[in-house]
Amino acid sequence: MQLWMLKSARLMKVNKSQWAALLFIGLVQSALSVAAQANLTNTTGEQSSCYLKGLSEKVLCGMVTVPENPNKPNARNIDIHYAILPAIKNQHPSEAFVAIAGGPGQSAIDNAAGFNRTFSKIRETRDILLIDQRGTGRSNILNCEFDNIDALAFNDETVDNQKETQKCLSDLSKKADVTQYSSDIAVSDFEAVRKALGYQKFHLYGISYGSRMAQLYMRHYTQSLATVTLDGVVPMQQSVLAIGEAIDRSVELLFQDCRQSKACDQAFPELKRDYLTTSKRLHDQPYQGKVNDPSTGEPTHLLLTKSKFLGTIRMGLYSSNIRSLLPYAIHQANKGNYQSILGLYSITQSGLDLAMGMHASVVCGEDLPRLTPELKAKADASYFGRSLLQVIEQTCPVWNMPAVKASFSHAIDSAIPTLLLSGELDPATPPSWGHLAEEKLTHAKHFIAPYATHGVALQSCGNKLVAQLVNEGNVDKLDDKCLKKDLRRSFYLNASSVEPLPAKAKE
Amino acid sequence: MMKLLNTLLKKELVDAIRDKRSVMAVMYYAIGSPLLMCGIFFMLINKFSSPSDLNITIKKSQNAPDLVRYLESRGITHGTGEDLKAITLTISHDFAKDMNQGKPATVTLIADNSEQKLKSSINRVQRALQGYSSEMASLRLIARGINPAVVQPIKVVMEDQATKQSKGSFIFGVAILSIIYAVFICGMNHAIDTSAGERERNSLTLLLSHPLSTRQIVLSKVLAVTTLAMTGLLLTLLVSKAAYTIVPWQELGFTINVSFEFVVLGCLLALPIAIMASTLQLFVSFFAKSFKEAQTYISFTLFVPMMLSIATSYDLAPDTLQWLPVSGQQQALMDFIKGKAIDMAPLMASNLITLLLSIGLILGMEKALKSEKTIFGL
Repeated sequence: MQLWMLKSARLMKVNKSQWAALLFIGLVQSALSVAAQANLTNTTGEQSSCYLKGLSEKVLCGMVTVPENPNKPNARNIDIHYAILPAIKNQHPSEAFVAIAGGPGQSAIDNAAGFNRTFSKIRETRDILLIDQRGTGRSNILNCEFDNIDALAFNDETVDNQKETQKCLSDLSKKADVTQYSSDIAVSDFEAVRKALGYQKFHLYGISYGSRMAQLYMRHYTQSLATVTLDGVVPMQQSVLAIGEAIDRSVELLFQDCRQSKACDQAFPELKRDYLTTSKRLHDQPYQGKVNDPSTGEPTHLLLTKSKFLGTIRMGLYSSNIRSLLPYAIHQANKGNYQSILGLYSITQSGLDLAMGMHASVVCGEDLPRLTPELKAKADASYFGRSLLQVIEQTCPVWNMPAVKASFSHAIDSAIPTLLLSGELDPATPPSWGHLAEEKLTHAKHFIAPYATHGVALQSCGNKLVAQLVNEGNVDKLDDKCLKKDLRRSFYLNASSVEPLPAKAKE
Repeated sequence: MMKLLNTLLKKELVDAIRDKRSVMAVMYYAIGSPLLMCGIFFMLINKFSSPSDLNITIKKSQNAPDLVRYLESRGITHGTGEDLKAITLTISHDFAKDMNQGKPATVTLIADNSEQKLKSSINRVQRALQGYSSEMASLRLIARGINPAVVQPIKVVMEDQATKQSKGSFIFGVAILSIIYAVFICGMNHAIDTSAGERERNSLTLLLSHPLSTRQIVLSKVLAVTTLAMTGLLLTLLVSKAAYTIVPWQELGFTINVSFEFVVLGCLLALPIAIMASTLQLFVSFFAKSFKEAQTYISFTLFVPMMLSIATSYDLAPDTLQWLPVSGQQQALMDFIKGKAIDMAPLMASNLITLLLSIGLILGMEKALKSEKTIFGL
């Protein structure tokens, strides 16, 4: 039931992308176990040098111990782990650039390589600080162990969510009180890390769910912030359960883009119809057949449900390079050839590092209680919204999170220089959400990248704009010209090429 | 004895300070060389870093519009005008046809790989093409129902032991060379002035007629020249410490920081070199017939330590060089920068050789000053 994710796959790294998968509408259906266990043995609270996934260089790791429940400082303590990617030439030792991961439930430290690459310009003169939010990564991860499920053959539409949630909760209750893993408390951990490390100001970058964390930081600790970037914005006013509409919009934009491309329109003239008929067919009768396992190559059994099919399409919309394969995959699926869907489905199964317990704590405390009847009606109108809501409504009564106060939904009222970035094609946080967040920000600019999906800084010149904001300390000179450059990728016309065959010269 | 030496040293130093040329030599080098090095580093940084927007020539781009847009998203564009790099990318006529058949489609990259200035740009274009190619490979596999991870049988996880300092050690080696050189340059003028110069002015005979041993005279001269050399070194280090902070090292991905510890260690290690340099320069000058001639000879002798130092910077035969004067101390300084433990045995040996050489030269001078041939420059 991931609602929204940290980041889309980087263009060239399909095979290593951090695709969080959708497919698991349910917390419990994941065939994965999250790999990011606390593998640091540092218990002294001091910094030590460490190596992080995907980074060859030595960086600094450390932790700050905080009470799990701020109201019970003498009860259980948890360690908030952080990593510092030291500035190349530290010209601003009193400042750090903090990147906050999404999910909810992704580890910022595990995504160090991506942040390092995207924000290399910032790192030339400032430290990059990555903090594993409580309940994720190395900071007392709330992670449910699942039995290994054969992802290809199992039926994801018939899982007993409530029972699986219950099992997860009882496992976790040995090491955590899940009600203490809300965003508000997590923000105070970040502030504790700031104080412990002696930084005077943070430059925040929050992506996706991380943008909610960044906004809460603005609300609670205004004095600690120099600049803020919200990328893939989740406005405070909005329950994320409105996401169904955003996904539908993004699917519709895919059809529209294909129609506008001459080659794509020629190759797949009835794309929307292909999509609808395939969904309908799989809804009536899931596809069953023999396939070769995408990873092992062994002959195996595939059960393709409507939920798996649409979930795969949804995940494909997160990154612009995988998106380019979707029209072909949909067209072929309609013809009964599910190879491309199978390939896409298999990559959604790998690389999902999401702490589902922490995810539930956030969504059940902060989003489900804010679901108004209108919003519920809207969500029910969309397949994606409806199915997500279904799982959440089964999960949250078990989780029993206290609801946030009404004031949680107030727009952030702040004069901190803030850059908001939205991707027009975003299947999670559409540009209209960015407009909402902007409401009471007095020194803010909101840019919409016309060809970007989720996470603008990671896939366009957005990272340069963030670097400019950090260096100049205000939004006055920021300009979205570079975001408007048409760098969109062509759609695949067959399993091999994006380029149409040149028209034969007439004799 | 000490008192006498003290008086002599004072006399030598007063002489040196009165001689404008000697003081200027120190100042010129101490201030000029770090600034010059900074200038060189600025140019190096410009040369080595590929511009953020790389303009190349792309021919037949209509054959592969998607590839062209991909390159553009990597900052590589078809351009004209001044910034245009001499790199041409030609997309083959059959590009789309080969692509559609799942065959490798050809693009031709035309550039001169021996051109140092282009190297980083050529690499960048190659990396971008490789990136496009592997992205496409992954998507082709996915389209065929295969997880692209299967074509990466081995995942190499690199754990680089380099530190922020050691990454810049090659560049810093050149800087250390210029710093060590200070002890040769800064004392040189006074070494000539107090030997060949003094003889030309006929004050050497006067000095020798005093009731002093030649050893005292030689020692006082060595000490004076060494003091000047060390002053120059200290100044060079301090100016470097200030000047190197303005160089935008971060653009090369590392930083060079002349720390206080480095200044102290540099002075300590350079002391034996300074003593050797001054004895050597005095020795040579005493044998020259005139001031001019001394200058010429000294230039020749400078060549040897310079070579040792350059060889160390380029890491040629480090196992041999670490035992020798100049290169031994320089090696130790570079190890310090890299954060490695300094190997004491070769350093001590190199110091010992340096000092023995100096003592030899001092004895040689002592002997020479007893002969009329040297005193009158016959």
